[in-house]
Amino acid sequence: MTRRDLAIIGAGPAGMAAAAQAAALGLAVTLVDEQPRPGGQIYRDVDRAVALRGAILGADYGRGARLTAGLRRDGIDHVAGAVVWAIEEGFSILYTREGRGARIAADRVLLATGALERPMPLPGWTLPGVMTAGAGQILLKQSGVLARRAVLVGSGPLLYLIAAQMVRAGTPPLALVETQSRGDLARAMGHAGGALRGWRYLAKGLGLLAEIARARVPRHTGATGIAIEGEGRAEAVRFTSRGRAHRIACDTVFLHHGVVPNMQAARSLGVAHRWHQAQACFVPQLDGWGRTEMPGLFIAGDGAGIGGAAAAEIAGRLAALKLAEEAGRLSPEACDRQARPLRAAQARELAARAFLDRAYPPFAEALAPADATVVCRCEEVTAGEIRGHARLGCLGPNQAKAFGRAGMGPCQGRYCGLTVTALLAEANARTPDETGYYRIRPPLKPVTLGELAAMEDAAEAAQ
Amino acid sequence: MDTDYAIIGGGVVGLSVAWGLLKRGLTVTVLDGDDGAFRASRGNFGLVWVQSKGMTQPRYARWSQQSAAIWAEFAAELGANTGQAVPLEQKGGYDLHFSEETLQATVERYEGLKAKLGGDYPFEVLGHNALRKEEPHIGPKVVGAILHHQDGHANPLKLLRALAADVRRMGGRVLTGKTVTGVSKPDGFRIACADGSVTGAGKVILSAGLGAAQLGPAMGFKAPVRPQRGQVLITEKLPKLINRPSLIARQVDEGGIQIGATNEEVGPDDRVTQPGLSGLAAEAIAAYPALARAQLVRSWGALRVLSPDGLPIYQESAEMPGAYLVTCHSGITLAAAHARLLPDWLERSAAAPDLEVFGEARFAVS
Repeated sequence: MTRRDLAIIGAGPAGMAAAAQAAALGLAVTLVDEQPRPGGQIYRDVDRAVALRGAILGADYGRGARLTAGLRRDGIDHVAGAVVWAIEEGFSILYTREGRGARIAADRVLLATGALERPMPLPGWTLPGVMTAGAGQILLKQSGVLARRAVLVGSGPLLYLIAAQMVRAGTPPLALVETQSRGDLARAMGHAGGALRGWRYLAKGLGLLAEIARARVPRHTGATGIAIEGEGRAEAVRFTSRGRAHRIACDTVFLHHGVVPNMQAARSLGVAHRWHQAQACFVPQLDGWGRTEMPGLFIAGDGAGIGGAAAAEIAGRLAALKLAEEAGRLSPEACDRQARPLRAAQARELAARAFLDRAYPPFAEALAPADATVVCRCEEVTAGEIRGHARLGCLGPNQAKAFGRAGMGPCQGRYCGLTVTALLAEANARTPDETGYYRIRPPLKPVTLGELAAMEDAAEAAQ
Repeated sequence: MDTDYAIIGGGVVGLSVAWGLLKRGLTVTVLDGDDGAFRASRGNFGLVWVQSKGMTQPRYARWSQQSAAIWAEFAAELGANTGQAVPLEQKGGYDLHFSEETLQATVERYEGLKAKLGGDYPFEVLGHNALRKEEPHIGPKVVGAILHHQDGHANPLKLLRALAADVRRMGGRVLTGKTVTGVSKPDGFRIACADGSVTGAGKVILSAGLGAAQLGPAMGFKAPVRPQRGQVLITEKLPKLINRPSLIARQVDEGGIQIGATNEEVGPDDRVTQPGLSGLAAEAIAAYPALARAQLVRSWGALRVLSPDGLPIYQESAEMPGAYLVTCHSGITLAAAHARLLPDWLERSAAAPDLEVFGEARFAVS
């Protein structure tokens, strides 16, 4: 088995940019990704989708094509359709592909596993017909399918983007039920300096809103008391906005209130994380290059803290520079020199982010759900049960997991982890940092016992 | 004096003893660690198991049998008290064999132990065909099994939660997030914690699992416990596939197939490894070929708390009378004994079990 200089996990903007940069500096790079084609979530299936549906998806989407083009060069081995189920120190990347287990050995690893949509546990959110807005967008990007009679619920730029895409596709949503308030926007204006530097995002946001308004899609802001109703499937969204109770009958509900770092791989390697109050999530502890405390392990992109696609691309390049320096392919001086313009661009991107974080905060009712609301979908554990575990002495999510199975299911705690930490922290009057997070272990993604056992047979055969 | 007994360690062992003492009307304070502590109580395999234990010390086999015999009653009482059932199934368990030689050798050892136990060791040998009648999914590589009728399995996490709930219900004080830094006995016991708190107690039980190795010597114990890693796998929930449990695999009450476990001397490292997981998967598939298609959902490593001979340690400190070391590898199997029988020994009642052979004298330097 050949060792690679660098293995990159994830072919989104950070991973693709890092791969191109590292390969240009002479590193032998393997880029491992779950999807059949590069792009990540933001530029999912970009090479095919732009040709077919570019007008619907928008100009930004086309930027992904430039990144995928950068992968077509010597020195980059793109392993597509590979589901990474474990990463071991040293490094060994274990994955399954087409039903077979395999591994890649690498001296260094860059985790570019991106973001997950922040789960939005509300009454009725587990009913059929309810999905995350991102899942709805994936349907559009991959197959052009769009739900009819849909209501978009939540907050954030992605909600507007999807609404606009639905308008362009000729199936506008019935309504936008937005959870952010005018107060949030007022507070965000305190960061207007940052917003002005990130003018491109604001202009884009206003453009999206204009498109939504032209299509006469009703917008309800400052919504509270949101519940999805239905017998056996979603039939309506009920909420209060500006002192008035509303009920909108619908077939589909798209939920979205921001994205959070996908920590699973980093956590499984023991990378220290700290609570990021403004983004209400954990972020890994990194230096300015994306370097963790574990030698040779870097993290770039939204997995390092939410910054968006453009910031992810820059972070990927910065990490690649330092990785090349560590591999002896770039002098420290050249590394610093090449990083300078990237850092300036990074500062512009992140300034806009502070504005967005405040203008579109996560929905408070979904951060601390009511007792009856399910928080762990896999094992159907309610918020009330988690609070009960705190009363039985559970200081953190690992003891709570043992007491009530939250986080034991196939999603590996991705959908309930932050909620469980928040509920326990509140109940025990401790901080999220003190409360901690699930101990993440392999498999990061499900793998069959047969695939696992076949690796044992291969090892025996080699002896 | 804050409490009659202070119990250092809030796992299944410490809580079982606490439960038994509370039932006798004594006051108990349990000092428990934090969320990330090594906790055998949430990493174990969940067997309530008799066979193969005490092959060289029949008293240990007998002690395990005593506990297994009163487990159902114990579980029922916990379930009734807390309103949350503690699932238990005791309809026998297997030692599966892939070779006639190992099967025969094990049967001979079991016969020897059976004689020492006066014949009370109910096991039978099943050849492949007989086993297949009991376990339709058993694979062709399994030549046979020893079916021991006193074996069974429980849901160890529901046991842990039920104990945590019932100890509180009975008035036990459970302090969490505690790291005990020292135990002194100026008059009564004083247990100091890293957060500056001090608990006064009439007696102290050290049931801190691997933590006993650090705390024990200063309390007059040898406490020669070491970690031994066991890696464990669990599959997605499946329809009924396995009837009775074995050391290789069992189907838990929620439906997943739990597969275990490695025995690794790697110090305080509870990570899983690909070779460990692959080896376990291969063995489980050899036993039950249908498992090849099952998805692995979780894996974990947990550290066994092992004494040099694998037996429990029950010892009162000579230096600090009133301080007891209570530790074992089989905290689930022995939970009922610890809850219902050990308090008599701690309280020196007439019904006290004879636990002499489990004292630390057996570790005397020779």
